[in-house]
Formats: sequence, C-alpha cells, structure tokens
Amino acid sequence: MRFLAFALAVTLPFPALAQDRGPILTAMVDEHVLPGFAALSDATGTLTQAAQADCAATSPELRAAYHMAFDNWISVSHLRFGPSETDDRAFALAFWPDTKGFTPKALSGLIAAEDGAVETPEAFAETSIAGRGFFALEQMLYDPRFADQGSDTYRCALIQAIATDIDLNARAMDEDWESFATALTQPGGNSPYRSGDEAMQELYKALVTGLEFTGDTRLGRPMGTFDRPRPTRAEARRSDRSLRHVELSLIALRDLAAHLSADHPEIAFDLDGAFDKAITRAQALNDPTLAGVADPQGRFRVEALQQSINDIRAIASTELGPTLGISAGFNSLDGD
Amino acid sequence: MQSRRSFLAGLAASSVTPLRGWASVGAPDYLAAALFPDGRYRLAGLSTGGEILFSLPLPARGHAAAAHPIRAQAVAFARRPGTFALVIDCATGTELGRLTAPNGRHFYGHGVFSPDGARLFTTENDYEAGEGVIGIWDAADYKRLGEFPSGGVGPHDMRLMPDGQTLVIANGGIETHPDMGRTKLNLPTMQPRLSYLDLNGTVLEQVELPQAQHKNSIRHLAVRQDGLVAFAMQWQGDKTQHPPLLGLHRRGEAPHLLSAPEAEQSSLQGYAGSVAFSGEGETVAITCPRGNALHQYSTADDQLVAAHPLEDVCGLGPGAMGFVFTTGTGFVGALSSGVQISARSDCQWDNHLIPIRTTG
Repeated sequence: MRFLAFALAVTLPFPALAQDRGPILTAMVDEHVLPGFAALSDATGTLTQAAQADCAATSPELRAAYHMAFDNWISVSHLRFGPSETDDRAFALAFWPDTKGFTPKALSGLIAAEDGAVETPEAFAETSIAGRGFFALEQMLYDPRFADQGSDTYRCALIQAIATDIDLNARAMDEDWESFATALTQPGGNSPYRSGDEAMQELYKALVTGLEFTGDTRLGRPMGTFDRPRPTRAEARRSDRSLRHVELSLIALRDLAAHLSADHPEIAFDLDGAFDKAITRAQALNDPTLAGVADPQGRFRVEALQQSINDIRAIASTELGPTLGISAGFNSLDGD
Repeated sequence: MQSRRSFLAGLAASSVTPLRGWASVGAPDYLAAALFPDGRYRLAGLSTGGEILFSLPLPARGHAAAAHPIRAQAVAFARRPGTFALVIDCATGTELGRLTAPNGRHFYGHGVFSPDGARLFTTENDYEAGEGVIGIWDAADYKRLGEFPSGGVGPHDMRLMPDGQTLVIANGGIETHPDMGRTKLNLPTMQPRLSYLDLNGTVLEQVELPQAQHKNSIRHLAVRQDGLVAFAMQWQGDKTQHPPLLGLHRRGEAPHLLSAPEAEQSSLQGYAGSVAFSGEGETVAITCPRGNALHQYSTADDQLVAAHPLEDVCGLGPGAMGFVFTTGTGFVGALSSGVQISARSDCQWDNHLIPIRTTG
C-alpha cells in the first residue's frame, strides 16, 4: 500500500442536495400522522366510556372498544418520536415485548395490595409502566389467571383505571401532535429539526424501525428457532390479535412509505409492490395467534411472510434511504 | 482454516518452545476488522502509518479484538450476536483456533486478557435470562473455565484497570435476543451501568447515570494509566434531545458527562462509536459516524477542544502523539495538531481500532 497524504476536504461528506420537502411533509402530516392520532383518541374515548358503563371482563361492548382502540394504536405505533416518546407515552400504551413478565407481576401486585392508585388518574400514571396500557388491559380482560384474582370491585376499578389512563395518554399525544406537526412541516427556528431533510429522515427512520419491529419482533419472537418455536410469545395472542398487528402495521407503513417516496415514482412502485405481496401473505395466513409457528408447515408460511417484510426493508434501505440523504455508511449504519 | 487437531498440536509445541512475544516480531501496532474489496470480512494488522501488514478472513462481520499481554496473539470477536471468536497469531496473521460461545450465550464483541495472560474474559449475553455474563477462558488452550454475572444487562466493552485486578464493564443496559436480531427489548426500563468487578466476579462498584439519562447506553470504554475511565454512549431516547455522549469516571467519585455546544452536539444523532485517550493522555475523543465527526475534549476542564469533520469515522486508538483513527470510507489517519490522512484503501474499516502494544 502506498502512503498518501490526502487533503482534509477529501474526507468531508458530500452535502445532500437541498430539496424542498415542504409539500411531502405537509401531506404526510395532514394525511398520515394527524388523522391517525385523532382516530386513536376517539377510540380510546369510547373505550373509557365502555369501561365506565360495564367493567366486566367479558362485556362484549368493552371488548369491542378494546379491539377498536388497540387497532388504532397499532396503526400509529410506528410514529415513535416527538409527542409519542414524551414521558414514555408509547411504552405506557404498549409495554411489549415483556420479556421478564413485568405486566402480570405489576397487575398481581396492584390487586394483592388493593393499591389505591386506581382511584385517581394522577396516582395511576405513577404506577409501573408494565401494568398500564393495552397489554395490561388485555390480560385483565382475557387472561384466566386474572378472572378471579382479588375482589370483583377491585378488578373493576383496575380495568377502569387502565382504560382511563390509556385515554388520557392517547389524548395527550393527539393534542401534542397537533402542535408538533408544525415542527415537521416548518423545520428550523424553534423546531428540533434543522431542515426538511432532517424531518424526512425522522419519518424514514419510523418506516425502517416499524418494519424491523414487525418482521423481527412481532414475527421473530414467536418463531424462535426451528428447534424451539415460541408460540406463547406472540404479541397480544390472548385476544387473538397477533397476526392482526402484523397486518395493521404493514398497512400503516405502506401509507407512510408511499408519502416518503412521492417524489420518486419508480421507488414508490417497488415499495408498493413489495408491501402488496407482504400484506397479501399476511391476509392469507389465517392464523390469528401465529400458533402455526410450532409446526413445520405453518412455520414455513410465517417465514415466507417475514421474508417478504425483509424484502421491503431492503428496498427501503437501498433505494429510498439514499434519496433522503440517509448516510449509508458502513459504521453509521452499524449501531454497535 | 486450521483444524482443531493442528491447533492443539500447535499449542502443545508452544508449551516446549518459548512463545515469540510481541517484541520479537514485526508486530502490527493495531488490529482492525474491515469489509475488504473482495467482499469478505477480514481482520487486519495495521502499522501506525496505516499499512496493512496482514489480513485473514473472518466467518462473518467482526467487531473488536483483545491482544494478549505477552504472546503475539490476539482474539478477534464476532459482531453481536455472533458466537465465534478467532485466536490469531499476530506475527504471521494465521488463525490458531476458535472459541465458540456455549449454548444459550453469544458474544458482544469485546474481551480482555488477565494481566498475566493466563485467562481471557469475554462479554456475553445470557439471552434467555436477559442478563449479562462474563465468560472466563483458559488462554493456554482456550477452553471455557466458567462465567460470572457482568453486573447488568447488555455488557459490551470491557477493560482491565491499571491495578491489573479490576475489570471495568460497560453494561449498556439493552436487552436483546438473537431470535429477534438486534431488536431492543427493554428500552422503557433499561438501566445502563458502569460496573467494576474483581477478576473473580465480585462487584466492587456500580455507577449509574441520573434517571434522565437512563436511555443513554454506556457502550465503549477507554482507561487512562492513572485509572480515569472514559465511556462513550449511544442515546436510545427521544431523537430531538441531544444528550452528552461521553463521560469520565474515577473510582469512588460521581461520573461527569461531557458535551459539545448545542450546534455541534445536535449533529451527532445521539451516537458515539469509539472512545480513546490520546497518547499523552491529556485529551479524550469520541468518534461519531452518524454525525461524521471526531470530537476531542480536554480532560483538564471537560471542554471541547476540537470537532473534526470525518466521514463515517469510527475506529479510534491512541497514537504516539494524539490519536489514530479509521473510517468506513477506507482512511487511516492521525490526529495530533491536526488531521493527517496516512493511508487509504478500499477497505471499509469497522467499528474499532485495537492498539496491541504500547505506542511511542
């Protein structure tokens, strides 16, 4: 190897070409972000009303409201930045994966102590994050081990407290997103984003992370290994929602990807085709709890679905990322 | 690739013939993993000037390496969640053998030898329990001797303190499971720690950051001869915040965090890749590949000395004066009074640059 002295300028990254991201960001916020959070807070309002009207775990109205609100959360759960991350709101709504079983522990702890925190939303918001949100509510409504733990009265108060907490959290997100939207569409000044490129990069990251979570965690966690599949680790399996979360997240991410690639029709076409394939596979799976991972044939089909999500990820990182000035550097992508 | 039989034969031979130590060979000054232009991941021995003295293929992407204190050997680790580590003869650049993580464990990519060179310690994940462990290996035949808890979750970098009897461990706090790739499983509850353990695994001191920094994963370490520990962090929280990515700690004291002015700090995207003290020890630096920058601080007053723009910079080690760095774009360079590029190749230099003998 020859020893060469290079000018410092050689090592400077090439500045991304400045582009006006304004129209895409405005459309993304108006059509993707804000309607999602508005729908979520509407649905959580219905949920808390249903819990007040009938707090029985088996109440059909309560269960329907739970499903509707959870659907709406999954459809925005990839937008994990800004107001969603404030005060760990996203985690307070959805504490999963719960690798160490914190959620049942937190619920049992509250029930055993008849903890008075259920009496006020302020006090309940200070309890363990694992005992709040949709996954805590799911266990209270669907897990037989909580069907007769403690008194009826306390379980009722706990279910109502969880529902109210979900609603307050969702409403706080909705309100804050209204103002945070300006930070995305009008970068610079008081916005944490210095440019439209940075705002686009944040949304691109939401796409990539969302795909990773759905492929590696929502599917990967129950898949485990071939020798040791882990069907009981599927997300929200108690209420038969595991596959539904995969499908809903892919539908939401497809919309986000379409906005992000609006300037690049060829990339938009590739992404949309890849999403179509993955969503079709998810809809054809007919395995709500992903229990099929335990037998070779079912597992093969879940693997094919996971592969189709990986295909979307590949298009996102090799085609879409570079158009948004995302550094594809060897180390900057490493994350280690 | 060498068979286990010939590896063992080599070890047997080495027990009767004195091992060639670092001083007797034209040993490299640094080790670094890279993606080579032939598309293979290799470990390379580098001179201070960036000359590639040898390279040998790795089974998959590498991360860091540990240099034996006496013998001209090093152990190169897989990138997490890898399960291999290669024992390398650094005089010839040949593979002497392999370590494989036991069932239920994977390597995190870092390790360190005991001062007498008899044992190797490795940071590992007990992934079913979600707890960190330190693996103990016999450095004569690289058989596993045992393990002890690392004092936290997600132990990543680990160094030997100057007393030769204490390990300092960066327990990054992030739980992962190899079935789920590199997905982070416990961000809301993560609690990174700087842990000091003796060589038997007794916890001597646990250092935690204030609650507001509990999503600042302590990942990489450098130790100065007087016992000052520098730690580099990776922020897992809200991306609109720009917390410090470098901290300094001295045993028995509170850690202090170092940050650049907001304009520079906010460009780093919450991510530091490597940390090192300068050869003289008066400054400490972090590489920030996402912000394409190398930030250098004074250890006297914690102030930023300079921010150098360098594309995809990550590997960093002490030079005779100042620092030596590598980049994912193929540069090897030195930083003393200014940035000087020493060499360029088509190699994409990976995360770390491991000094394998005292420079200068």
